[in-house]
Amino acid sequence: MRTTLVIAAAGLAVLAGGAPAVAHHSFAAEFDGTKPVTLTGTVTKMDWINPHAWLSIDVKGPDGKVVSWMVEGGAPNALLRRGWNKSSVPAGMVVTVQGYRARDGSNRANGRDVTLPDGKKLFIGSPGTGAPGEGR
Amino acid sequence: MRARHRGAAVAIALALAASACQGASTGASADGWTPPRTPDGQPDLQGVWTNYTATPFEVPDERDDLALYSGDTDGTGRGTGPAAFLTDTTGRTLAKGRSLVVDPPNGRVPILPWAEEQRTFKLLHIQDHWEHHTPWERCITRGVPGGIFPTGYGSGYQILQGPGYVAIVYEMIHEARIIPTDSRPHVGSGIRLWNGDSVGRWDGDTLVVDIANYNDKGSIATNAATQRVRSIPQSQDLHVVERFTRVDENTIDYEATIEDPKVFTAPWRVAIPLHREPDYRIFEYACHEGNLAIPNTLSAGRALRVRPR
Repeated sequence: MRTTLVIAAAGLAVLAGGAPAVAHHSFAAEFDGTKPVTLTGTVTKMDWINPHAWLSIDVKGPDGKVVSWMVEGGAPNALLRRGWNKSSVPAGMVVTVQGYRARDGSNRANGRDVTLPDGKKLFIGSPGTGAPGEGR
Repeated sequence: MRARHRGAAVAIALALAASACQGASTGASADGWTPPRTPDGQPDLQGVWTNYTATPFEVPDERDDLALYSGDTDGTGRGTGPAAFLTDTTGRTLAKGRSLVVDPPNGRVPILPWAEEQRTFKLLHIQDHWEHHTPWERCITRGVPGGIFPTGYGSGYQILQGPGYVAIVYEMIHEARIIPTDSRPHVGSGIRLWNGDSVGRWDGDTLVVDIANYNDKGSIATNAATQRVRSIPQSQDLHVVERFTRVDENTIDYEATIEDPKVFTAPWRVAIPLHREPDYRIFEYACHEGNLAIPNTLSAGRALRVRPR
């Protein structure tokens, strides 16, 4: 019997840090908070699509094999209000993404911080989703 | 699709009419503020409004299963989010009362047990079927009046008026309502709609909208900020009366009285202030263009059935 019960929901919360609480659906229904992942790779595209933006990156593994990952972000309007724009992560840029893996084991993740080549960090996620450690 | 195009055409016409109304006069009575008027004499509700608030939807009760409503049902603390219901992300303190539900006076929606049981089943089995997701997650609608229940982002509403009509453009999932204000009869009872049939009239300075002809597929509320009411079903007997009253330059008092004898033991009323935000820019939110959450959630459920935790 399945013991893991997960809920989709429209996320919201005002966290101590005061970031907007945004999520069209749940973190837990789709992603596994016990499986953090750090991905360093080359941006292939940023889909500014609703209800959540998706960042695609090619990640080269230790064996030299390139694996494509998709990283879920917040809603485009939330990212825009947070300071993101079309040129924030252009194709070809090498970025490091922290996130949490999809529960189905595919190469998808819920994104949190995106570190740019100059060390600047952009938060791509949806605060209020309940992702671990999201004290922002 | 044809209907959608017609709606867009009406919206454009209303926008043009609204721009023509920009020069409407503003007047204040000696004993208080009175709303400006459009050239054809309607109280002027036009503008961009937001519904950020720090007031919870219901008065919380210790018996509430906040983890269930927020998504943390495996005890890991990782659900949809903290069991919070504050949707004031503006940094302002926008709390007017102890709950947005103002009637009954205890601030609790009088939900029949079967409806709560159905909600709980759907929330617990969200990964099993697309129908267990609320219409919002499915990008269909946040409902009427649910589309005005605060959710914390996508919080803009643009009201446009033309002779005989009021239009409301909702930022969240890009919805628009075209409301006639001539008290016309509702459409025939055989016509059932996700958001019902809205018919308006003016009661003094208040826009009153009567909504009926709902289908029984929707939810009265769709987002976690509505706590216990989220994912509660609506029946074909749902009847809603909305009241929009502009009480000062920057505030519309919005109220919705909700009755659905198949779902609730009594009518209940919610009151939500709408704040004028002339600089707020409403962005397009084309919810269906990439709603990967549904297939990904169902895929997660299939994976869990193969590899139970």
